[in-house]
Amino acid sequence: MHKVINKSEKAKNAEESFKKKMNRQAILSFGVCVHCGMCTESCHYYLATKDPKMAPAYKADRVRKLYKKYFDWTGRLLPKWVGGDEFNTDDDLTELMDIVYGSCTMCRRCSFNCPMGVDKALLMRTGRAILTEQGIAPQGIIDVSEDQWKIGNQMGISTDDFLETIEWLNDELKTELDDPSAEIPIDKPNCNIIYAVNPREIKYAPMSLLAIAKIFHVANESWTMASKGWDNTNFGLFSGDNKLGAYMGNLVYDSVERLNGNMLVTSECGHGYRATAWESPNWAARDLNFRIYNVLEIITDYVKSGRIKLDKSLNQFKVTYHDPCNLGRSGGITEEPRYLINRSVSDYREMYPNRADNFCCTGGGGAMSMGEYSKRRLETAIVKADQLRATGADIVATACHNCVDGLTDLIKFYKLKMKVSLVGELVADALVYQKMYKVPEIKPEEITQYKVLVIDDEPDVIMYLTALLEDNGYKTISAATNEEALTQLDKEHPDLITLDLIMPGKSGLTFYHTLRTNAQYKGIPVVIVSGVNPENPGQYDSRSFIYQHSLPRPEGYIEKPVNKELLLMTIEKILELKNK
Amino acid sequence: MLELLQHEVQYLALSIMGIAYISKIFWILHFKPMKERTPAKGSHSKAIIASYFCIALPWTMESTIKKWYKWLEFSVFHIGIAIAIIASFLIPEAKHLMTPNVILIFQIIIAISFFVLLIRLTRRIFSPVNRLISHPDDYFSLFLMIIWFFVAFFAMNMDEGSIFFSSYFILTALLIVYVPFSKMSHYILWPFSRYYFGKHFGHRGTYPKIRQ
Ligand code: SF4
Ligand code: SF4
Repeated sequence: MHKVINKSEKAKNAEESFKKKMNRQAILSFGVCVHCGMCTESCHYYLATKDPKMAPAYKADRVRKLYKKYFDWTGRLLPKWVGGDEFNTDDDLTELMDIVYGSCTMCRRCSFNCPMGVDKALLMRTGRAILTEQGIAPQGIIDVSEDQWKIGNQMGISTDDFLETIEWLNDELKTELDDPSAEIPIDKPNCNIIYAVNPREIKYAPMSLLAIAKIFHVANESWTMASKGWDNTNFGLFSGDNKLGAYMGNLVYDSVERLNGNMLVTSECGHGYRATAWESPNWAARDLNFRIYNVLEIITDYVKSGRIKLDKSLNQFKVTYHDPCNLGRSGGITEEPRYLINRSVSDYREMYPNRADNFCCTGGGGAMSMGEYSKRRLETAIVKADQLRATGADIVATACHNCVDGLTDLIKFYKLKMKVSLVGELVADALVYQKMYKVPEIKPEEITQYKVLVIDDEPDVIMYLTALLEDNGYKTISAATNEEALTQLDKEHPDLITLDLIMPGKSGLTFYHTLRTNAQYKGIPVVIVSGVNPENPGQYDSRSFIYQHSLPRPEGYIEKPVNKELLLMTIEKILELKNK
Repeated sequence: MLELLQHEVQYLALSIMGIAYISKIFWILHFKPMKERTPAKGSHSKAIIASYFCIALPWTMESTIKKWYKWLEFSVFHIGIAIAIIASFLIPEAKHLMTPNVILIFQIIIAISFFVLLIRLTRRIFSPVNRLISHPDDYFSLFLMIIWFFVAFFAMNMDEGSIFFSSYFILTALLIVYVPFSKMSHYILWPFSRYYFGKHFGHRGTYPKIRQ
């Protein structure tokens, strides 16, 4: 007699979707595992927790059970004999979400350590895909995917905002290079390079775009960005949604064809490069008539061919390199960054293990957008922290914005004395041309008009930030509590607010909510200047609310300890754009 | 009876396995492979060859470097399997090749394999990770192999009247029939999975790995 189980609609659909997703590589990875456990110690989740449920084979089996039940020859008759099972309820799917999103960054380190050639990330992504189709995914993944579908980029930046930011960056570039011809061209046809970036570079980290623009300018490159199809990131890779993957890929490929570019170059974004260069053409079933490169490959060519000259004495630091999983293990770019760093800094030291054996920054697979798993992420980051500490470096360079975030978080959490930098920024700082730079002049008459409200519960931080801002011509007021801040807002009408999220009493997050939902304060730009709460890392995970935007995103976002230049540049950019 | 076990039963079992294997290959091939639409950064052929050889070159994987003893176990018992299978052909078809020296070598390898599998069974039962990832098929396959090695060891004495001798052929036939329906069918999947692993990562230029 058959046991009658009332399967939930979603469980039924998830299983049907699974059946349709089987291709040759998938059935092989699902079928060939012999449960030898050789891959166990290659996973940072397992190494950090020693929890058997974090073993890659166990996690993969949570998805594999469907294969065993519906595809395995014996499993079709005797599912339990071979570990086959079904999904019956929505809770089964939520449990799966915890595994495929919350316990795996799809870094593929375990795949490289499996004698059978099981690609666990492929299995995890299949798990994510069937959940995504049922609308089940961490909120950050859902929100960002929606922005990519609707607006064409992951930060929901409008074309006007994009163009205004580029215009502002152009002014910065001209000033820094003291060259009026320096620019970030937009929609220029027939260029050699069409450059696509991570939207974070437009919204929160313009220094990296500026650095690459400098290098392109000094190399006399013919390049442009497109006003449409400029986002090289692709949340389809994380969510398993091949349609989104194809859509985002097509947007950038179309821009290359529209502008008749010679090649597409992606910025320092690991998953962006992997998705754009390797995966999206497959998802989109599109044969391209141009090549795709990562910007580090291009810069390496400049150095090798003498188009740019680097002086390593300009960067007197001890620097190590973190291989982003999607750029290294899954992307094939491991030597170019090393070549460049070796020529840009005085002391380069290798991190072990490295290249295809490197450990994930713990922020991969979209983990930085999943606030619900921040605590676990940071716990597992001890593996990376130990690896970093052993190098004795002052700076860990990497070539991925996502890794910058992941590494910054863990460095703070494990109190390492280390900073994170992108490779391109180190190269730009070592450009011999830089010797001709003029220090940008501060024109007090242009900036003294701005008043900044600094909100932070730590007096030292208030003192530091107000001094820094005043030294640079801003008027400042400060508040140590939300109540004080409200009073200051009504009394002083600041032009911009810097806000700490981790505060006693009402959190900065609550205050941010007040600001954004109150018509009176809505228009005041906010720069979050915050960090991770060591006691409860997931509590005010500021990054997660950048991705999960039930509220509008903040205009700026700076990690503590504060990078002075980035803070000043961010404030300047926001106020100038607002004024325009 | 013994004649039947050594010949007809073995051939029948082999035929079943052959049919199952061929069907499995067709089954694998009926799934469409993902195709790469971009020009390769690395070499497919080099990567595929490296992918196949990874099990013979334990220093190329961190897991086999760190757990070298597991790699040794794996190597020994796979040789043991090959030996025990070869013996099941040599005994009925070319008995003259089973000289005392050959028998001694076979027995040593089979005995070591037997103990290796005992260790692996113990590990599967007592190691929390291995226990968690194991299903009945994992235990049963291992158990079957352990018994098989046990009887194979004594069967090598070539005493046709012994219970081990006939049991060896019965078990060999059983094993041959069970293989395609168990985890042991990885024999047939492995060449394909390593091929695609090599091809995928070779295409991106990350395989063979660049040494540190
Ligand atoms: S995935 Fe590979 S290494 Fe891990 S248990 Fe399965 S066969 Fe062994
Ligand atoms: S892909 Fe990475 S995070 Fe996921 S199980 Fe494997 S090693 Fe762990």
